[in-house]
Amino acid sequence: MTALWAIFRLILRDQRSALLRGAALSLLVLVMGAALLGLSGWFITAAAAAGLAGAGAVFDVFRPSAMVRFLALGRAAARYGERLLTHDATLRALESLRLRVLAALVAAEYLRMIRVRGAQALNRLTADIDALDGVPLRLMLPLIAGVAAQLLALAVLWILVAPVVAVWIVAGYLVGAALIFGGMARVAMPLSRRAEVAAQAFRARLIDLIRARRDLAVYGRLTAQAKDVMAAEARGLDLRCQLDQAERRAGAALGLLATAVAAGALGIGMTLVQAGRIAPGFAALGFFAALALAETLAPLRRAVADLGRMADAARRVRRDLAQPLPAQPLHTQPLPADTDGGTDGASGFALRVSGVTLHRPGTSLPVVSGLSFTVAPGETVAITGASGTGKSTLLLAIAGLQPLAAGQISLGGWAVADWPEADLRAGLTLLPQRSTLMAGTVAEALRLAGPAEDAHLWQVLAAVQMDGIIRERDGLAARIGPRGEGFSGGEARRLALARTLLRHPRILLLDEPTEGLDDTTARAVLQGVRQLLPDAALLIAAHRQAETAFADRVLALS
Amino acid sequence: MDQNPKQYPVSDPASDPLLAPGRRRMRRAAVLSVLAGLLWPVQAAVVAWAVGGLLTGADASALKAVLLFGGVGLLRVVLGYGAEAQAQAAARAVVTAARARIVATEAARTGESGFGGAGSLTALAVEKLDLLAPYVTRYAPARARVMVLPLVILALAFWQSWAVGLVLLVSGPLIPVFMALIGLAAKEASARQMAEIGTLNDFLVERLSALVDIRLLGAGDAVLGSFAAQAGDLRRRTMAVLRVAFLSSTVLELFAAIGVAMVAVYVGFSLLGALEFGAWGGAVSPEAGIFLLLLAPEFYQPLRDLSAAWHDKAAADAVLDEMAAWQDEPRPALPGTGGPAAHLAGPASIALHDCVTPSGRALPAIAIAAGERVALVGGSGAGKTTVLRLMAGLELPDQGRVIVAGQPLTAANADGWRARLGWMPQAPHFLTASLRQNLTLGRAGDLEAALRTAGIADAVAALPQGLATRLGETGAGLSGGEARRITLARAVFGAPDVILADEPTADLDAATAQIVADGLLAEAARGATLVVATHDRALAAQMDRVIDLGHLA
Repeated sequence: MTALWAIFRLILRDQRSALLRGAALSLLVLVMGAALLGLSGWFITAAAAAGLAGAGAVFDVFRPSAMVRFLALGRAAARYGERLLTHDATLRALESLRLRVLAALVAAEYLRMIRVRGAQALNRLTADIDALDGVPLRLMLPLIAGVAAQLLALAVLWILVAPVVAVWIVAGYLVGAALIFGGMARVAMPLSRRAEVAAQAFRARLIDLIRARRDLAVYGRLTAQAKDVMAAEARGLDLRCQLDQAERRAGAALGLLATAVAAGALGIGMTLVQAGRIAPGFAALGFFAALALAETLAPLRRAVADLGRMADAARRVRRDLAQPLPAQPLHTQPLPADTDGGTDGASGFALRVSGVTLHRPGTSLPVVSGLSFTVAPGETVAITGASGTGKSTLLLAIAGLQPLAAGQISLGGWAVADWPEADLRAGLTLLPQRSTLMAGTVAEALRLAGPAEDAHLWQVLAAVQMDGIIRERDGLAARIGPRGEGFSGGEARRLALARTLLRHPRILLLDEPTEGLDDTTARAVLQGVRQLLPDAALLIAAHRQAETAFADRVLALS
Repeated sequence: MDQNPKQYPVSDPASDPLLAPGRRRMRRAAVLSVLAGLLWPVQAAVVAWAVGGLLTGADASALKAVLLFGGVGLLRVVLGYGAEAQAQAAARAVVTAARARIVATEAARTGESGFGGAGSLTALAVEKLDLLAPYVTRYAPARARVMVLPLVILALAFWQSWAVGLVLLVSGPLIPVFMALIGLAAKEASARQMAEIGTLNDFLVERLSALVDIRLLGAGDAVLGSFAAQAGDLRRRTMAVLRVAFLSSTVLELFAAIGVAMVAVYVGFSLLGALEFGAWGGAVSPEAGIFLLLLAPEFYQPLRDLSAAWHDKAAADAVLDEMAAWQDEPRPALPGTGGPAAHLAGPASIALHDCVTPSGRALPAIAIAAGERVALVGGSGAGKTTVLRLMAGLELPDQGRVIVAGQPLTAANADGWRARLGWMPQAPHFLTASLRQNLTLGRAGDLEAALRTAGIADAVAALPQGLATRLGETGAGLSGGEARRITLARAVFGAPDVILADEPTADLDAATAQIVADGLLAEAARGATLVVATHDRALAAQMDRVIDLGHLA
């Protein structure tokens, strides 16, 4: 519940004025509805009484009937305005919430980033945040407006009709509704939470089935996976069944409450009239107002059915938002300019690694210890070593994605940690061991690195020896399937390399850049990279002769 | 996916076969809901009698009034509860049957759906199918009530006062006309919104799997920017749908309000004696006045319920159209079931005759004997992956024949053939499960031995949670070489008779590539038939034979 409240406050902060106006309008709608029905009932009864008494000629018919028309039209208009306003405000608030969650993911720590499973993160961004629309629309605003309308009715009925009628109606509704909702929330909250878990399981398993269906088919596991998917659905179905029942029961209880309150208002009114304490018209007013006030309960019914789902989603979204963002460097001194890069004088940045010790990501097992070396602008250095000796971890650390256990890494004279993120990414690029191309055209995939002219795209494609292959297809408009499908491993690798070249980094880190390529192509690709970036400091995690032969210097890790 | 909603077939959800599993319960729900609605005039009569008694001084008993009103109200609640129970059960049956259909179909076809990626399809199966439930529980019963209740109330109104009857008769039919117009707009807006949701999901799924690249390329702001633009677009489309829906219910509310106000004013004037016409005996009686006032809103209520549920129908329409678009798409069926099966008897040999690639390029005849070690080489697009998929029985050839274990590969023996295979795909997808489950995939065997053969036992032992570790979808948490060796371990687990490997050493350093090659060769030494599609000359050189599929001209 605290998470729900926190999310509501976030939404409110985002769209305060629209939501407040919306709340005012929804109160207006309820009040006008009650007034309309109450006034009509009074009007007809009082008119009948006047007619029977022969006083029809002196009875003021015009003001009440004008009021009836005004209330009828005003209510419809207020309702339209209220719906547009609150829905638009809620959608806007959710949109900015979604953006904040995505921003938190994009800026997350490396370890968390690689563990993100598309399906789960997608859930967070779509289903979870969608579930939150009920927080203002179906929970908070109707609750606020409903309680306010009831209290207003208490005052009005107290004065116009009789305190006993007013208390019966309002206390009946408020106490009855509180009991029903309290009881239902206790039943429904855990149920809808579990139903949501089942839905997430269904989703994750279905994505697995679709993405891995060939593997699953070969291993005779496809039917079992389909069964697992449907098992999650069966579990969800059972829970939805129980939830439906709880919701239905609450609905029936609310229906009974409305009937009981209205019947009581009728009976009390009749007794008062028969005792000569009030006029028949006011007894009718009380009864009709009781009927109209039942409307304050209706929207809350669904809210309670969804409460568990909302609370759960709110908790997860809040946790995502609360993830610490990487600390922003504090210093505001100007960064080294292009030409006087640190102490090296050339137009480029030197990379300096001194006494660095690293742990395997997520563990405290040392992989690199006390390593020191320098790469000057324009120089190419290859690091070699068997799988698991920490080549990739070292490159990640230089790129600022992996914390150092000891030592220092500096770029152009500044420690990596001191670089503001945007400047660091502008000056340094890493081609990681596994990079993902996105579905779309080749041009779109490359332009993830930033806006670039077509000619520029062709230039980097030529550097990685991909221009011919791309030209043979549909040129820059050639389609890449989801996860780089349609291109071989080596081609996808070179496209990812071309993408990093578009950044024109001054320090370029390449993690096994020429895999999947034959020796001739591998050498040509490396030549192409160097020609395009003559002054860049190049550091290559190398494992093949073509790469080490290309380097000016080889550094062996053990 | 077809983005143009105008090209969708115009369908009526009520007759859609997808709703068949819930149809009987939907009918029951409709009947119960109508019966519940018919009880309101009875309650209204009780109130009219009670209030009229107060006016005329007849000694109406308050207790009797309360009991009658409450008793009928209780009955109404019970009937409503029953109607809802039936409708909810129908909705659950419809949604779960549609989901079962998606799962069964996706598990029976090979190849990606042209409908969209896993994100789109999952959105269809989860969020979008859920949109059928409101149609079943709200729209369908409301439609049944619209057919009956306004007519009954109209008849009652005419019985009491022809003037009131006339007011209702004139204002009533205008409503469906407006709603039909608005409904047309609503469906189109809804369909556009659905398409947008699918696109946004695919956009996100791709980006979320590439977070590291986005970070390293400094593209975070650009991605956020284009997401914001797309999300804004979706919001505007959603608001367009809602605006139409709100407009339709406002129009209705206006009509209803004007109608009720006219009835109230007429009845008031008539009771005062200012109007002497309209009722059969001159002016209306006080009882009739109250009765009519209570009936008038209920005349419009079913129509308002229907209009409130109108966008449920529009959404259901759009979902059913999407289901149809997904179903209509022809895709090759997976031969066999993809389930466990007894091994197909016969030698572990494979031959391809007269087969072609999907682009129509002829493949050479290939014959691989049991226990042979063969490398498939050739340029991109030469058909290496196609050949492996045909050999694995994941597709049946459009032309030509595939002979496995001495017999033609068919849907009937594909499961039995695949049960003998070890399979190393180019890009593995790790399931949302522990590493152990990803390796064994429910099969029995010696996991330790498989891990040792793949040279990955130590790396797995060094993982913080060992075999219980959950990996990212593409194996994040392991290095590229380690992830590859995991797929090797998975392939050799269970001692297969044939191993098919697609680029098993791509993206690996020489030492790791040799570990993988050694693992594969060890399996061959055990007697397994080995087929590798590869660019890696060092690997190809270690095979008995190289089959060159050529280069694209």
